Amino acid sequence: MAKLIGGLGTSHVPSIAAAIDKGLRDTPDWKPFFDGYVPGQEWVREHKPDVAVVIFNDHGNSFFLDKVPTFAVGCAEEYKPVDEGWGPRAIPPFRGAVDFSWHLVDTMVESRFDPMICQEIEVDHGIQVPMELFWGRPAAWPVKVVPIFVNVIQYPIPLPSRCYELGRVLRKAIESYDSDERFVVLGTGGLSHQLQGARAGFVNPTADRAFLRDIATDPDTLAAMSREKYVELFGSEGAELMMWLVMRGAMDRDVEVRHTHYFVPASMTGAGMIVLENKAAGDGRQAA
Amino acid sequence: MQIIFLPGLLCDGSVWAAQVEALRTVADVALADFSTQNSITAMAETALALREGPLVVVGHSMGARVALEMVRLAPGRVERLALLDTGAHPRREGEEASRQVMLDLADTQGMAALADRWLPPMVHEARVGDAALMEPLRAMVLRSTPEQHRRQIRALLDRPDARPLLPTITCPTLVMVGRQDRWSPLAQHEEIAAAIPGAKLVVIEDSGHMSPVEQPGAVTDALVEWLGLAPALRAAAHGRRTAMDTDGQDDGIPDRIPDIPLFDRKRSLRGYRLNKMAMGLAKPENRDAFRADEGAYLDRFGLSPEEKSAVMSRDWREMVRLGGNLFFILKISAVDPVRITEIGAHQAGMDHDAFLRERLGKK
Ligand SMILES: [Fe+2]
Repeated sequence: MAKLIGGLGTSHVPSIAAAIDKGLRDTPDWKPFFDGYVPGQEWVREHKPDVAVVIFNDHGNSFFLDKVPTFAVGCAEEYKPVDEGWGPRAIPPFRGAVDFSWHLVDTMVESRFDPMICQEIEVDHGIQVPMELFWGRPAAWPVKVVPIFVNVIQYPIPLPSRCYELGRVLRKAIESYDSDERFVVLGTGGLSHQLQGARAGFVNPTADRAFLRDIATDPDTLAAMSREKYVELFGSEGAELMMWLVMRGAMDRDVEVRHTHYFVPASMTGAGMIVLENKAAGDGRQAA
Repeated sequence: MQIIFLPGLLCDGSVWAAQVEALRTVADVALADFSTQNSITAMAETALALREGPLVVVGHSMGARVALEMVRLAPGRVERLALLDTGAHPRREGEEASRQVMLDLADTQGMAALADRWLPPMVHEARVGDAALMEPLRAMVLRSTPEQHRRQIRALLDRPDARPLLPTITCPTLVMVGRQDRWSPLAQHEEIAAAIPGAKLVVIEDSGHMSPVEQPGAVTDALVEWLGLAPALRAAAHGRRTAMDTDGQDDGIPDRIPDIPLFDRKRSLRGYRLNKMAMGLAKPENRDAFRADEGAYLDRFGLSPEEKSAVMSRDWREMVRLGGNLFFILKISAVDPVRITEIGAHQAGMDHDAFLRERLGKK
């Protein structure tokens, strides 16, 4: 059966893509941000996953307000990077994992999650940026991807606890998938930021750092929090951080934190990264 | 203040959702997870490891037995103790056999069958058909597994007799129980409260065994009062109200959360045309049309004069007021470049440098 080898969390701020495109990686503004991702990239190189399940949201690029799926799963052979308005970016298209995508959809429906099924869909910075942060800019992506889109824009957005439960279903799908492929799950978005209203520019480094701690050791508390609480703590757009709970729900209760990184502000956002592995079986029964 | 919440048999953190939500603003709250241990002592060790230093420990049912074990293991660390719908006695005669019935049920017919049998006696009789209460509880039981259930039953059957411990407890203790708790009745709690020096007994009306979810408000209120947190909560709520009073008054659309235009039904409907127009700018031919004759491009989407003028004057605050969502209207800046921080500063009503410094902490 397929194996889940790790859970990754990262921000997906579009300015990161712009900084890469403009060659700003080593400028004083950006270098500390990108340097913090080096251990994450090394982890990926060393562990060589075959498939990346990426949980993210579309930002008014592939879905308009006419059709808003709460959860949608890509089941395509290929996902082209979308032109968000600033022209096409020089990144390769993403190869899909069609068979697993369908298996995931089956598993979700049997577990009472009923997603939208997408055959032709372009993908925006929500997935592009995380892939570039962990895999760099290869000529072709060395992993296949399975996009899971979560509506975190049009209210009602899903409950954090529901995202966490979806992660458990995702884990079930991976472990019941007849293959020897190695999977990673990427929860993306956040951390604190607010783009609209009088509180625009709100960042909350204290809450962000607590989140990076609690996502490893105390995910149940994060899953039990209300959406309003996410908005209050992390800002109206920062509430998308709940998508990390899908990744966390796919992992064991007890995880080992391999790397974390926090940087503020990346553009208008508190930006963070985490690399989690499940604790080896029999490796103590207690949470650290 | 560090508060650890401990769930009972087949339960998880979701039973404490209301209490966590209320207390999180004024305390450091953590939820213990008992899905992997097979003894009350191991569960207590796990819970003690969640935080360093003094703890307020709040346990429900099996979780309250774990709370008592925490007191036994680390009396110096438990500064306050709340025991809900629980017992202190060891295994009773015949208990093993009746628990075995549940284990067999889970093994042979699955967790759904177990949930259907186990849950109804856990709640107030009148609530058995209340889907809003029962469905989340059922989903919670389905999140558990026969293996977890077996480990927890093992832990319960092997539980220590906590009765000798009760008279030695010196920290302030609250004993709470649902009036209609059929699983661990009021009389049992009266005995526990009488055995612990100075303990306070609170009875939750119209509630069975699952009081934190059956009467979340009453349980939360009792905890808040006993912890002396009511003034802190009032201050926090006042802070939020003050923010609401001063912002977004001229907005026309009331915000559910202060200063935050949540993109709810009203905003989505109001801003539909504006956002559709802006999303169109992702296409190069539309960007060209916008550049060539902005007014004509806006007319194509049926924008009102008010909306047109907000766009044409690049009045970001006004566009948001009219239901514009930043992810869409940001595309206007792909045609007429402006930094996102300038858009932010404009909405905040601040000068750009001050915005970078004060909001984003830039030097
Ligand atoms: Fe996002």
